[in-house]
Amino acid sequence: MKRREFVKKTAALTAGSLVIPYILPSGSLFAQTNAPLAEHVVYVLFGGGLRQQDSILQRYLADSQNFNVGGNILYNMLEGAPPTSKIAYGTTPAGQPDGIQPIPKILSQTLQKQGTIFAEMRAISGGHYGGLNSLITGSRVEGQGLKVRPINPTVFEYARRFGGFKATDTWFIGNTIGNSVPLLNSSKHPDFGLTYGGNFFAPNITFGSDGYAALSNAKIYHPQEELEPMYKMKNFLDNSFNIKKGDMPGIRNTDAERTQIKEFIANTFKNQASGQLPMPPVSGGDGTTIGYAAEVLKVFKPKLLVVNMSNIDGCHGNFTGYLQAMHRADHALGFLWNYIQSIPEMKDKTIMCFVPECGRNLKHNPIIDQNDWYGYDHGDANSLRVFGGMVGPNVQSNLMVGSESNPIGVVTDFNLTIAEILGYKSDVMDAGLIDGNAKSLFDRI
Amino acid sequence: MRIFKTLLSVLFLMLFLQCTKNKNTNYEIVETASYGDNLNKDKDKTNIEFHSILSTNLFQKPSSINELTRTDRVIQSCGDKTLINEVIISNYMNSNQVILPSRRRMIDSTERFVEETYIRFFIRRPTQAEKTWFINFINANASNPSFRPELVYTAFSASDEYMFY
Repeated sequence: MKRREFVKKTAALTAGSLVIPYILPSGSLFAQTNAPLAEHVVYVLFGGGLRQQDSILQRYLADSQNFNVGGNILYNMLEGAPPTSKIAYGTTPAGQPDGIQPIPKILSQTLQKQGTIFAEMRAISGGHYGGLNSLITGSRVEGQGLKVRPINPTVFEYARRFGGFKATDTWFIGNTIGNSVPLLNSSKHPDFGLTYGGNFFAPNITFGSDGYAALSNAKIYHPQEELEPMYKMKNFLDNSFNIKKGDMPGIRNTDAERTQIKEFIANTFKNQASGQLPMPPVSGGDGTTIGYAAEVLKVFKPKLLVVNMSNIDGCHGNFTGYLQAMHRADHALGFLWNYIQSIPEMKDKTIMCFVPECGRNLKHNPIIDQNDWYGYDHGDANSLRVFGGMVGPNVQSNLMVGSESNPIGVVTDFNLTIAEILGYKSDVMDAGLIDGNAKSLFDRI
Repeated sequence: MRIFKTLLSVLFLMLFLQCTKNKNTNYEIVETASYGDNLNKDKDKTNIEFHSILSTNLFQKPSSINELTRTDRVIQSCGDKTLINEVIISNYMNSNQVILPSRRRMIDSTERFVEETYIRFFIRRPTQAEKTWFINFINANASNPSFRPELVYTAFSASDEYMFY
């Protein structure tokens, strides 16, 4: 062999042996661009629009209804004493005044003590869909229409493309099929899209009365005797049809993943009937959505799970209901964090992030509720004031970053933060599709 | 009176001459049903269209609008549409009203079964390659008692092509 040929072949072999082990099923050459900070992320869209004054600033009715009563009603999340009078944020025992009974604290230590809170962040949009879109895509949402998938890639697509995760490693648990929520599990970006989308359930439909009628009587086929030949035929038919990438009606799981999800659906109906689902002690509404998210965590142990809440948005016409929903959402969040610690594969390996999609207006609207308290809409500058936080391994504990007079962070930071936690931050930055002002929250500290 | 008789005769004569029998022309072309191919199926069915057609294929009768609306909501609530369709299809298969050919018919008249299944679900005849593949596949699974027309129907109902028209 000639010297030149020898050198060429040796170089090619060396390069090949270095590169081949890192080729992922997603087509990406390198799995991770930074050392992961945790193995799993649970991202809670704590929402529906929380007014900064009534939540983290703990002014209760003082800054909204002209009663000099302050206090903290998010006491699983934040340090601070609860209100001592005008109690209406709790549950309602039979025959007693509305909301008179606060829900007992579920965490032994607040999330603030266990992690880091960003006290004054900026939202990108004062509306729900724009806000959710910015949380999911990490991008500004100019030109984003309703009833269409996001223009820019979602947190799920980054995770699957750059993290090399399979579909059942990424989940979006929505609280509704309205407001375009089911479209947030994937963008329509040509380089990403449904090929890299996350799995989605809206449990109040999937496992509600509609789902029960349509799904609960489904046959469970034998994996080898029945499902295997069925999938062989289906795959043959699909290969003959050659569906175009842009025409895919939904995300795609592998045959094995589909079998696993079908079993999950069947088992969830069984667990529901026998009362075996992990629900927060006070559930209903967002609490129930969190309960189903916990079930998904238990079964799939996903790398990334995003869950959306929205009952708080009742504030438009019922301020008392808003306080109660906020208090329950805090209870549900505490439950979820506790539940994560009960899953051996996720305990101490999971970072939970939480942030609302938007705040609420400074001034009230004219609608009054049963307590003669005014409702609040969202859309003004005050609606862009929000807080967020994270807790888990490698997150500094008992740290409050920023203040009312010193805003730090934007909600689009969370996408990059998740990328840093799971180990592909520079890939996401190089893709160039996130908000130019976004930073990982770890870089904001 | 004479004029009247003459006129009547003329009218009768005209009427008689007008009534001529139509001549049927036969060009000796064999009448045959026309089926398309899958190349032009580029419009996806809505959830309601999909399940309306599916229930007609499986039950030989359409679903109620309430059932279709409910099914539409359930499909929207799941990210993997083909997966949730499979679950809904297997839910249908548990109904005692679903009309399926017998296993004996699938095994004994395989070629006909394959052609009928393609026409029923895809509104087209199989290509020769498709027909050959399915006949071979069914024959290869003939000894598996779990291999039933239900599985073939499920594969067709859950296929990509069935979601388009």
